[in-house]
Amino acid sequence: MKTKLEEINRNIYDIKNKDEYDFKIKKGLTPEIIKEISKQKNDPEWMKDFRLKALEVYEKLELPTWGPDLSELNMDEIATYVRPKSKMTGNWDEVPEDIKNTFDKLGIPEAEKKSLAGVGAQYDSEVVYHSMKNELLEQGVIYTDMETAVREYPDLVKAHFMKCVPVYDHKFVALHGAVWSGGSFVYVPKGVKVEIPIQSYFRLNSPESGQFEHTLIIVDEGASLHFIEGCSAPKYNKVNLHAGCVELYVKDNAYLRYSTIENWSKNMLNLNTKKAIIGKNAKVDWVSGSFGSKISMLYPMSILNGEGAKTEYTGISFAGKGQNLDTGFKVVHNAPNTSSIVNSKSISKNGGTATYRALVRVNENAKNSKVSVDCESLMLDDISRSDTIPVNDIKTDEVEFSHEAKIGKISDKSIFYLMTRGLSEEDAKAMIVRGFAEPISKELPIEYAVEMNNLINLELEGAIG
Amino acid sequence: MNLEFNETPIRTAKNYNINNIKLENIEIPENIQEFGGLKFLGDITDFEILEMNKFTEFKYGNGEFLENQIKDKSNKNININAINNENKELQLDYKFSKDNKNLIENIEINLKEKSNSTIILKYKSIDNTDAYQNSKIKVIANKEAKAHIIILNMLNNKSNNFIAIENVLEENADVKYTIIDFGGKNSVTNYYANLNGDNSNNSLNTIYLGNEEQVIDLNYIMECYGKKANAKMDVKGAIDGICKKHFKGTIDFKKGCKKAIGDEKEYCTILSDTAKSISLPVLLCTEEDVEGSHSSACGKIDQEELFYLMTRGLTKTEAQKLIIRAGFNEIIEDIENEKIKKEILEQIDMKLV
Repeated sequence: MKTKLEEINRNIYDIKNKDEYDFKIKKGLTPEIIKEISKQKNDPEWMKDFRLKALEVYEKLELPTWGPDLSELNMDEIATYVRPKSKMTGNWDEVPEDIKNTFDKLGIPEAEKKSLAGVGAQYDSEVVYHSMKNELLEQGVIYTDMETAVREYPDLVKAHFMKCVPVYDHKFVALHGAVWSGGSFVYVPKGVKVEIPIQSYFRLNSPESGQFEHTLIIVDEGASLHFIEGCSAPKYNKVNLHAGCVELYVKDNAYLRYSTIENWSKNMLNLNTKKAIIGKNAKVDWVSGSFGSKISMLYPMSILNGEGAKTEYTGISFAGKGQNLDTGFKVVHNAPNTSSIVNSKSISKNGGTATYRALVRVNENAKNSKVSVDCESLMLDDISRSDTIPVNDIKTDEVEFSHEAKIGKISDKSIFYLMTRGLSEEDAKAMIVRGFAEPISKELPIEYAVEMNNLINLELEGAIG
Repeated sequence: MNLEFNETPIRTAKNYNINNIKLENIEIPENIQEFGGLKFLGDITDFEILEMNKFTEFKYGNGEFLENQIKDKSNKNININAINNENKELQLDYKFSKDNKNLIENIEINLKEKSNSTIILKYKSIDNTDAYQNSKIKVIANKEAKAHIIILNMLNNKSNNFIAIENVLEENADVKYTIIDFGGKNSVTNYYANLNGDNSNNSLNTIYLGNEEQVIDLNYIMECYGKKANAKMDVKGAIDGICKKHFKGTIDFKKGCKKAIGDEKEYCTILSDTAKSISLPVLLCTEEDVEGSHSSACGKIDQEELFYLMTRGLTKTEAQKLIIRAGFNEIIEDIENEKIKKEILEQIDMKLV
């Protein structure tokens, strides 16, 4: 018995606009190109120096010796900065028609009206639209594009920019440090609870280019925030590169929920880095869905630095034809009474490869810590691949650690049971796959559950039977 | 000499320090004398025991240097043929001492079709000599062969213990391993099983116990090729002092191994806040119709159990010993040889003082 699930319908994501731009840097990576990007972006001197130093680190570091093969990536063929023919605006009507149409079709302004406290939209290398509700402004919340933050909040940015994710973490972080452009900056002051989510959407339209947005979020003591990030791009024949960087600082007693749906096109190399530093009794929840891209190497990381800090990761990946999604979660326990819960699911079909790769590190001083990891992989045919590669590094006896993983196909018994209840074989299989993904989709906010539904549930429903 | 070996079948990031084991300043014996500390015990006449000239390369093994040492300098080359259909037991009893301190051996065990055997390899230090062991054990399990292979590492904590094991299992072959890994300053095991035949069955039960400065590096790999192959690892251990334990377990479902089942379990009890445990339980899968699972857990001894036993009059050490022994019991009870069982329990008592 084979499960007939169609590939995700990408029609709305594959809309290609004409490659029109105000400025596109020449391909390749040299100090001159970095200086030109810095000039185009009107960087302060310290940022220009930072970029050049990051380039030096990039040249020294090697490609990873593990994970998917990245040999097809040729930086000489990638333009690292593309400025769209639009200035950033807070008025949706001022966004150029073709760009506006793309975001309209992706449902961004609709979501803003219905259920968001703020919205940012990035097109290629620059943010083209940013808005936030007045109530938040009055409470002292800052939500702006990264370039504005560098200019208007230099002390705050300098103190945090690439301190959580240093440029020597790995080669693509160094690359990001050299060519970053766009992204969002959020600061939530002490004690402020942002009740409605804020969302940034990243769209890469230009072929043979890269997107390197930088997201920096500071949730100050006792504050809370739900941040949503969405990404997509149309498909081209040559590779595009996404090497974004997300730095999250969640101070004592604060809370951050970070939800992501990555749905890059299948020519995209998605080498994204996300890390959170979590203070005393603070908590970060990650909700992550990885669907698109040709290759993804994505391992969000929580560093539990404060006593009683907590983190929870809920993630799903869906690898179809030609895709190699190498995803997972990393957590480091650095303080007593910290806890982490990981719940990961993956589906592979049609020759796709889904890998769960993870790290749990409990350091000597993380006494009385608790870790629970659960991962499940579903294979829908015998031409696909599914691997589970978790590293568990425990350096104290005062720990409760458990890790469980399962791998396999849809159980014949479950199909049989549902068929005895009157479902057809195909309906039974579709129901089981939806049930498999449901614990993740129910964690998403409603507007993103809709997108997730587009990506899994509704598509599967339409495709099976 | 510095050695880097026991590579995992799949790489992870370098800074996780688990892709291989790096050992510094290992004293490699130069002048290898004959090893006179081996005795064959048990039902010797039910086995064919021969000298061997053959050397076969292992798919994984313990790296180029240790392989070459066996190829060029081995002082024991033994070929054992299990031929009897009734369960017969053969014991290879190695005693390490100042007169027999270096063992570099190459063993091939041929389990003939439908044979049934228990083979015990016991490596034990009888004095305080810093011994050196580099063993290579190849097991060929022919159709419907059945065997229980028991390997006991009871070397002292000054010795180096390197073992590479490779198994090929044909149709309906059933090979069970019990590995008791207690000794060695450095104890490194590379275990590989190729479950080639349909319905082949390989289970590996391990108990490790590390204290002081011991380094234990276990790299177990099972590859399922045959339909309905059954691969099982059950690894239990306790670490104390500043012991470092690395457990790397891989079950790899190859395309075509339909209805295969693989299960991997590891539980590590940590007895001190300076002992370190790293585990890498890997599942690799290119076949849809399989059931794979792994679980890994670690922590200190359950404080409620400990308290209960202490209220019954046991000292803390006695209570700890009892709890750890109880955890190991299922694996120890599976050994039929009562003398060996008793020896294992005595070793546990000695190590947990």
